[in-house]
Amino acid sequence: MLNYLRLELLQVLRDRYYLFFALALPVAFYLLWSSIFAGDRLDPVTGLTSSVDIMISMASYGALGATLMSTGVRLAAERRSGWLRQLRVTPLTPATVIVVKTLAAMSLGLPAVVLVGLASVLWQGVRLDPPQWVAITALLWVGTLPFAALGTLIGSLAGPDAAQPITLGAYFGLAVAGGMWVPLSVLPQVIRDVAAALPSTRFAELGRAVAAGHAPPVSAGIVLAAWTAALGVLAVVAYRRAW
Amino acid sequence: MDAINVEGVAKSYGSVQAVVQESLRVPTGQVVAVLGPNGAGKSTLIGMVLGLVAPDAGHVELLGRSPAEAAARGLVGAMIQQGELVPNLTVREVVGFVRGLYPAPMPLDDVLELAGLGELARRRTGRLSGGQAQRVRFAMAVAGAPEVLVLDEPTAALDVEARRAFWVAIRRYAEGGRTVLFATHHLEEADENADRVVVVSRGRIVADGTPAEIKRRAGGRTVRFRLGDQPAAGLEKLPEVTAVEVGGGFVTLHTGDPDTVVASLYSTGLTIRDLEITTPALEDAFLSLTAGGPAC
Repeated sequence: MLNYLRLELLQVLRDRYYLFFALALPVAFYLLWSSIFAGDRLDPVTGLTSSVDIMISMASYGALGATLMSTGVRLAAERRSGWLRQLRVTPLTPATVIVVKTLAAMSLGLPAVVLVGLASVLWQGVRLDPPQWVAITALLWVGTLPFAALGTLIGSLAGPDAAQPITLGAYFGLAVAGGMWVPLSVLPQVIRDVAAALPSTRFAELGRAVAAGHAPPVSAGIVLAAWTAALGVLAVVAYRRAW
Repeated sequence: MDAINVEGVAKSYGSVQAVVQESLRVPTGQVVAVLGPNGAGKSTLIGMVLGLVAPDAGHVELLGRSPAEAAARGLVGAMIQQGELVPNLTVREVVGFVRGLYPAPMPLDDVLELAGLGELARRRTGRLSGGQAQRVRFAMAVAGAPEVLVLDEPTAALDVEARRAFWVAIRRYAEGGRTVLFATHHLEEADENADRVVVVSRGRIVADGTPAEIKRRAGGRTVRFRLGDQPAAGLEKLPEVTAVEVGGGFVTLHTGDPDTVVASLYSTGLTIRDLEITTPALEDAFLSLTAGGPAC
């Protein structure tokens, strides 16, 4: 099982697209936005300074993308290429495959969280307590679970050609409506109403709450757990049919 | 206990019957070729043996277990068709990974050597030629030292030289008393490498035996000689002659027993010139057994 986890991680960590989209892009966006929107003005919704708020946004954005891309697109490609069939004739069980893939996808979001955090410290002089950093990293790891389920669902249902645009669509849709690109406070009320029910908004909220110095709201946990349960059931059903 | 026991399996795709009620028992240690033209149902049969295709009827056992259970216990290794490799890994990493899944695998260096991958161990899978990738897939199939090795058209798209090297490796692997089942539409591959040939046509097993038996069953051998302008009448009445062809001044007698035919030929009073006794290539046997099958 560890053997397989290592293989899954290696494959993605050596992928130039992963390095670009899941690492370089969030860090670059952080540097750009935090320079443009510098200042100590507190965001009316999140109560954070822009340098901290954008740090959470871009860390969440990177983790979301890494998790979605490393499940959806890759699973679809592995179904097409015959790699999953190849695994079926080995002692690896379908349950191990899905558990390892989920763990790998969640973990592949971590480098973005760490790098964006590091950039915020070095570039903008962001200072948080060590326990806050630990909590943000841990929550932005566990919180990717619904996105791993969504990616698995997409990868089990769509072919490789369709999986790419569908995953990208879900990625950007969730990122924008979840307030990762533009602060929720400047988005229209309609989107803000929808956003409250989205897993991406609540995912970023985990980090924003800790960065603001308080525990994440229970409602965020409930929304994320509900999405995880619903998408998880669908993903397992779809995956079992695809396996 | 048989290594492979296929009992009355059938599989249809829509209105197309890919496999019609087939049974096949392969004892441990046998090397069996499933020979048939493209579209005969070989891959479907192999897929059912491996548990990748669920049969509509019948069942399959590998070493007394269901295919999924046999796979879970590391008893099976397979090269399936359309098996691309995952990107961004080296040959050594991929083969080492698959090897690590099995309970009692071969040493990694032995696997790489057997598959002729020693030089390529550090190469990324995306930078391999088709033939090299095929060798990696073979290495993945044997890495776990499985008891039962199943290969679906393992040498498709390989050139003659590579194909020969490939079969040397497969025979070396089988020498340890392991069971090998392979699908092919190359007749000489079945003839040269299998203990037993199962001929499949239109979803049915139409012949099953040693390569020599298959040739014999397909109409046996021929006795041919120059007839000139002598009359051919009466030749069909000779003992053991099954058919007579006349053309171009030659006559060809089909028979299962050329010795008897030749002995009686000399008592006919004909002048026998340029006498030849031929054993048909497996190809002819194959064509006669699968005649009427789909062309593709």
